[in-house]
Amino acid sequence: MKRWIGMLLGVLALSFSAATFAAADIEINTPGVTALKQSLRARFQDLRPYMDSGAVGLTADGLLTVRDASSVPLAARQALNGLIAAQNGDRNALYKEIARANGHPEWEGEIRSIFAQRWIQRARPGWWVQSGGGWVQK
Amino acid sequence: MYPRIFTLLLLFAAMPLQAAQLTLSVGDISAPSFAARGVTLSLPLDGSAELRLDELSVAGRHWRKVRVHCAGFVLSTARLECRQAKLNAAPDLPFDFSYDFGTQRLALELSAGKDERWRVDGDFHDAGWRVNVQLRNAQARRLATLLPPEQPLPTQGLLNGMLQIRGDQDGLRRVQGAVQAAELAFSDAAGLHAADKLAGSVQFDAVRSRSRWDWHGALDWQRGELFWQPLYLKGAHSLTAAGSWDGGQLQVAQAELNRLGVGRVELSALWDTAKNSLLACDLHGSDLQLAPLFADYLKPFLVDSVLGAATLSGRGDADWQYRDGTTQALNLTLRDASLEDGQRRFALRGVNGTIPWRAAAATQAAVSFDSGALWGVPLGSSQLQLAMHGLEFSTPTATLPVVDGSLTVHDFSLQRGDGGWRWNFSGQLAPVSMPALSRALGWPEMSGALSGTIPQVSYDGREMRVGGALLFRVFDGTVVMTKLALADPFGPTPLLTGNLDMRELDLGQLTRTFAFGSMEGRIDVSVQDMALVNWQPVQFEAKVASSPGSYRKRISQKAVQNISALGGAGAAAAIQRSYLSFLQDFGYNRIGLSCVLRNGVCAMDGVSRKNGGYVIVEGGGIPAITVMGYNRAVGWNELLERLKRVLQDNTQVVIQ
Repeated sequence: MKRWIGMLLGVLALSFSAATFAAADIEINTPGVTALKQSLRARFQDLRPYMDSGAVGLTADGLLTVRDASSVPLAARQALNGLIAAQNGDRNALYKEIARANGHPEWEGEIRSIFAQRWIQRARPGWWVQSGGGWVQK
Repeated sequence: MYPRIFTLLLLFAAMPLQAAQLTLSVGDISAPSFAARGVTLSLPLDGSAELRLDELSVAGRHWRKVRVHCAGFVLSTARLECRQAKLNAAPDLPFDFSYDFGTQRLALELSAGKDERWRVDGDFHDAGWRVNVQLRNAQARRLATLLPPEQPLPTQGLLNGMLQIRGDQDGLRRVQGAVQAAELAFSDAAGLHAADKLAGSVQFDAVRSRSRWDWHGALDWQRGELFWQPLYLKGAHSLTAAGSWDGGQLQVAQAELNRLGVGRVELSALWDTAKNSLLACDLHGSDLQLAPLFADYLKPFLVDSVLGAATLSGRGDADWQYRDGTTQALNLTLRDASLEDGQRRFALRGVNGTIPWRAAAATQAAVSFDSGALWGVPLGSSQLQLAMHGLEFSTPTATLPVVDGSLTVHDFSLQRGDGGWRWNFSGQLAPVSMPALSRALGWPEMSGALSGTIPQVSYDGREMRVGGALLFRVFDGTVVMTKLALADPFGPTPLLTGNLDMRELDLGQLTRTFAFGSMEGRIDVSVQDMALVNWQPVQFEAKVASSPGSYRKRISQKAVQNISALGGAGAAAAIQRSYLSFLQDFGYNRIGLSCVLRNGVCAMDGVSRKNGGYVIVEGGGIPAITVMGYNRAVGWNELLERLKRVLQDNTQVVIQ
């Protein structure tokens, strides 16, 4: 009986948090979001060839990482590190800013998860995405 | 070294005469770090031999289906010889092998093409045995099969040189080598540790006495590029080093590293090879070129930090002392150094000084700089004395020239806490003229001056806060800023919050500055609950209203038109139709406009409500004019666009 009550409470708690979170506006637009999206888009032009070649992959936590740098000229690998660090910095700031604009800074983690799923869903054929701890090619 | 043979089967197969051969089938051989399964030696009667191993394991490496074919095979009581042999894994590298049972001499020579040669000579006759290896144009890629696959493996390049190994009944006694590499390339699977076109030489000599090895060596890396995540380095490095190893600790008694264009660094260190950790290190570098030192060796580790986009130049000396897992002392001397942020957030130029830092003692640093900038605001020449005690830094007072004024800092303190670096100070801003400041920041030239007392500024590792009220004067009025806070100041989206109260600004100066169309009078501006993300407003409650009191109030027709344009459609329809449009300026009683910005929309209001609209300019005197606004909700971006059009080119304003 106790177990059932526990499960019921668990389900209630889950649906409550889901219902609370459902109110988050992922598409919210603020000058911060606009600036970050512009910056992400501009830098993506430089990153795109590395995504296409498989040198860079999408992680399960909504970021980018070097997957296989072998195809990148040695002299460009450090610059690629810098590009990824900057893009990840902007992505982290975007998740934080959307949570802040929603009036719930504590939602940052959930917003990151939603974006992580979205980036992976929208990945182009041939790109590499992290799944279950390993890499999968779309 | 004595393989235990589990099974040994000797089969003497009765073969047809035309294919007669002897086949020795040695099942499995195993020994520590060595195992071979399914070992078969076939000896056809044509003088050749073939050794087959189904599986071979040596020191953790595994191979399957290994086959060695000897075109000429001799086995006698005197010697074992295998000529023109081929290994199936390296068919392009035929070799000869011989071992003389009497003299206990071994010879192995691998050769390919007309140039490549690997020669191993072993002499095990005496108690002091030795093995010599000679390489001539040896292709480095051949070593890949012998190395652990998770390490960077050579893919191309030529090796020339020798390796000499001596030993006795107790094991190794001396290892010497001198190898030159050309066009060497290697990489690990992920490409994070890789090199290309390396050229250089390495020499080493290690001698054992009892359980201790004394060694010295030299590395001369002349050309080529190396990427060792996150470092990217090019040739022109050389290293000489000497020390000892007792099986547990590797001591570098002295080493000297030279990098062309940077300078020379001397170091000594103690490394725990079992725990893989640095126990002690002393490093000394004199007159180092800071630009390549910072760009090549430090910045790659700082990409996520404030210094990630910075460049450093000038010269400097460094002395670093590391003990017990932490830095104990660091002496830095800077000579004409400059630090510039690539995103123009900060800069310091002409930096000179000495910083004798100690982990557990109080010291004083003296640093001066010729000029600098913070978020575009120019800083002048300053001299700073900093008291240091571990991770606590403080200065009782310092003066920083800011534009044409100065900021006097009192009780500055900086310390490392759990949440990162924290600092605070109080200060006094001596008048900074607004024309000079606006010129420096590329703003329209404003009149007035910025001065006041800064009760307290603090940073807690995340947010910068100004305690109390910041007070300064512009446009002949006063400005008071309260509850000012800047979160994530060097991040991609800094968040500025606070309140702003301006009193009795001179409208004449203000409208002239922004080319708005002339107005006379005084206004109060209040901006409460303000939030700027990335320096763009996202929320506030702003109100502009005529200041109380008696003063001359006139508004030009151009200003009327511009205010109307800001108010949106229908705001000034009355002007065009009336005779008032022939007049150049009008009297007014009061002006008022408010905007509550939320979610990108500005909820607008005026001094009062009238006829379904709101009054922005309430007429008074002769001739008088009233300007109305009818749009209660205006998109913030739309409002900014209107303002930009008004300020850029008044002739483009369309009054509907």
